[in-house]
Amino acid sequence: MSYVRIQNLTKRFGDVLAVDRLNLEIREGEFFTLLGSSGCGKTTTLRMVGGLEKPDAGAIYLGDRCLVSAAEGMFVKPERRDMGMVFQSYALWPHMTVFENVAYPLKLRRVKAAVIRDKTRAALELVGLGGLEERPATALSGGQQQRVALARALVFSPRVLLLDEPLSNLDARLREEMRRELKALQRRVSVTVLFVTHDQMEALSMSDRVGIMNRGRLEQVGAPEEVYYQPATPFARDFLGKVFALAGKIVSSGDAGCAVKLKDLAAPPISVRSSRAAPESGWTAGQDVMVAIRPEQIGLAISASDGNPNVLPVILQASQFLGDRYEYTVAVGSESRVLTAPASQPLKPGQKIYLALDAEAITLWPTA
Amino acid sequence: MRRARMQSETFWCSVVLAGVAFFALYPILLIIVNSFQVAKPGAPALYGLQGWSAVLSQPGLKRALYNTFSLLVVRQLLSFPVAVLIAWLLARTDLPGKSALEFMFWLSFFLPSLSVTLGWILILDPDYGIANQIWKSLFGAAQGPFNIYSFWGIVWAHIGHNTTAVKVMLLTPAFRNMDASLEEASEIAGAGRAGTLVRILIPIMMPIIMVVLILAIINGLQAFEIEMILGAPIGFHVYSTKVYQLIQQEPPSFGPATALSTLVLCILLPLIVMQRRWIGRRQYTTITGRYRAKPIALGKWRYPALALIALVALVITAAPMSFVLIGTFMSLFGFFHIEHPWTLRNWSRVFDDPIFLLSLKNTVLMAGGAALFSVSLFSVVAYISVRTKFIWRATLDFISWFPSAMPGILMGLGLLWLFLDFPIFRPLYGSVWLLIIATVVSSMTLGTQLLKSNLLQLGMELEEASQASGASWWTTYRRIVLPLMFPSVLLVGVLGFIHAARDISNVALLATSGSRTLALLQLDFMVSGRYESAAVVATIVMALTTGIALLARLLGLRIGIRS
Repeated sequence: MSYVRIQNLTKRFGDVLAVDRLNLEIREGEFFTLLGSSGCGKTTTLRMVGGLEKPDAGAIYLGDRCLVSAAEGMFVKPERRDMGMVFQSYALWPHMTVFENVAYPLKLRRVKAAVIRDKTRAALELVGLGGLEERPATALSGGQQQRVALARALVFSPRVLLLDEPLSNLDARLREEMRRELKALQRRVSVTVLFVTHDQMEALSMSDRVGIMNRGRLEQVGAPEEVYYQPATPFARDFLGKVFALAGKIVSSGDAGCAVKLKDLAAPPISVRSSRAAPESGWTAGQDVMVAIRPEQIGLAISASDGNPNVLPVILQASQFLGDRYEYTVAVGSESRVLTAPASQPLKPGQKIYLALDAEAITLWPTA
Repeated sequence: MRRARMQSETFWCSVVLAGVAFFALYPILLIIVNSFQVAKPGAPALYGLQGWSAVLSQPGLKRALYNTFSLLVVRQLLSFPVAVLIAWLLARTDLPGKSALEFMFWLSFFLPSLSVTLGWILILDPDYGIANQIWKSLFGAAQGPFNIYSFWGIVWAHIGHNTTAVKVMLLTPAFRNMDASLEEASEIAGAGRAGTLVRILIPIMMPIIMVVLILAIINGLQAFEIEMILGAPIGFHVYSTKVYQLIQQEPPSFGPATALSTLVLCILLPLIVMQRRWIGRRQYTTITGRYRAKPIALGKWRYPALALIALVALVITAAPMSFVLIGTFMSLFGFFHIEHPWTLRNWSRVFDDPIFLLSLKNTVLMAGGAALFSVSLFSVVAYISVRTKFIWRATLDFISWFPSAMPGILMGLGLLWLFLDFPIFRPLYGSVWLLIIATVVSSMTLGTQLLKSNLLQLGMELEEASQASGASWWTTYRRIVLPLMFPSVLLVGVLGFIHAARDISNVALLATSGSRTLALLQLDFMVSGRYESAAVVATIVMALTTGIALLARLLGLRIGIRS
């Protein structure tokens, strides 16, 4: 069931089309992430949901309630939307203590003083900041400020929690910690979350579903595994993770998928059986294509295994130790490609090695 | 080698400290000491409390203090809300023509108050003021309602000049730089516009509001020219005009004058300390998020607000300026209905006057000298207090605050005594140099603080990167620091020039007939009732100050860092 419904949302800043006819439905209790590089319109979308920007066209609904509709001239002010928001800069009010910051939304709702005290304490306990109530908000560390902002956004049990890159100002270690905590917290209070980030790790690890945005439009919406392993568009493919791609030509296409002859390589055609190679995708023999696979899905061997057509002989050109894995540069035919693999045995540059490509994991793309 | 460099650094820093301390503190000390000096001028020193008892017993002196404070309170009550509203509108809304309007407030700040007052006299004089004449012809009344020579006339002349403009100048950037997400967070949390204004915006702006308020009080206690022109003729005195009167009379009565001054210094010095503390406090107004403040849509209020601000901006700039200009062409200032009201004689008469030509030369020399001297001195002081390890650097910074507590008349008096006390300065007496020193010392606080905050923003890394690339200290200063600081340096130079060109209170007691400046000439003309000649001089002073301001704006836009 959809909870937040966004229809044809459009926003211009001068000549720039920041959000372009965006349609999206977010389910109740879901952790939904808008992922994209800066300037893709994700923050603008979030701000329109929160009521901080007015759309030029389109509408947003929360349950049955219309929050904004450009066509009907309808606009609910941010203070009437019942949404919590954590800003990238945290936006803690420097003239208030931690307690006053968190209690502010309750005070505005004319909650009784005793209830305010209990709820504020509980919210601060929830984010692990019990005991710091009387500190000035800006005297805390970045991670603590972030928790205060989170407590402030959650204290009045909002219907939706909006998070605008809340982790981007933290250092790497703290970011990982907060990522886990944020997700655990969301499960505990089961609030609907709309999260905006440019960090694919955050998006993939926390979300129930991810929407990849580019130039004001949604490229693909789906579960993290889905958007990662089955990218629907070239942008989604290249934006998420690394790609190991080779050019080729389709030799045959059938119920079992396609067979692709790789350019520059003496090896027999490889078979591709992922959903993108299905007959209804309309591939025809002779068509130029690109085959792509996530580098970590590539199996690496020092000897050829018989009978598997999807094994490519390559020459190792260079290797770099990255701590938990190795990064290898290999020559496939006349071209260089990079992949990573766990360090099982030491490999030497110049050595011949074999790459096993899983037929189910390879995706096929038309070349322009 | 390194040790030798450290020692020479300490030596030069000490020289600067000694020089600054001498010129900034010694005059204050002289004032305080002389308040206990009761001997007649010229007679051997004799100490006693007569000066103080005169202040406490003479009704005129107490009255002057009372007038000073009632003027101050009324002015601030009227101008503060207006200035906050204007600053907010200029900084945070979609008001059309914002930058032009903001520049008009800067222009108003640069205008000499004596010239502005002259313009207002022409409009609001009880007899021939144009506003009163219009009133009389409209309603057939025998007498118009306006009288510039009154308490409210003085209040108006102040509000119509610096009192509002300086607040708008300081508050607008602060409102502009505030992180908009602080307001948005409040709206999301459930507060409306008004709630956010009262609970979030104003409390966050409190440090800068306090700084502006204290500055306003200090400026109010230093006010001189307007009261001198508008108050003295009706026997209305504030303490600065009283001090001037006591010193100028024959024989001068220095005891009560210095005692009154010391009393005011006792009020001003704590204010300086307070102001320093508020400025030192962490400023909340910083840009943090990527989102620049989105201007608030005024909707149907857009054009009424524009009309209001444009009216204010015109009233404080165009109105006095154009009336002064009209005045220069009148045979008899303010009389439009005589047989030949218009003439060019005023201009030719003034330009034929050797005294005018000498004053013009003095003014250009002195203002130019003050600009150069203040830029070099203040940048050294700022550099020492920000970048060196000199052990007395905090003291140096603190001392640089004192001149702003000294009302110009007192600074002039203190420096006059200082120059007469030390034989090495005697040759300077009667020269422009004395006036340059006086105006530079009196503008030290603002100039140093401007350069200091700019240096602090630059951060050490830029200089270190240059040194790491192999540049010497001097090359780094010349190639990195100075170009990056150029806009601030230019601003400080322009402020120094304008301050000197229009200054009256600091130099009134120091100038002789040979070193008289245009501003003082204008004052003489006005005091002796020669308003037509005064208007010509006023026009020239205004052209000098606003011309320099406009030139700097052009230069500043072309050179320097592009933001």
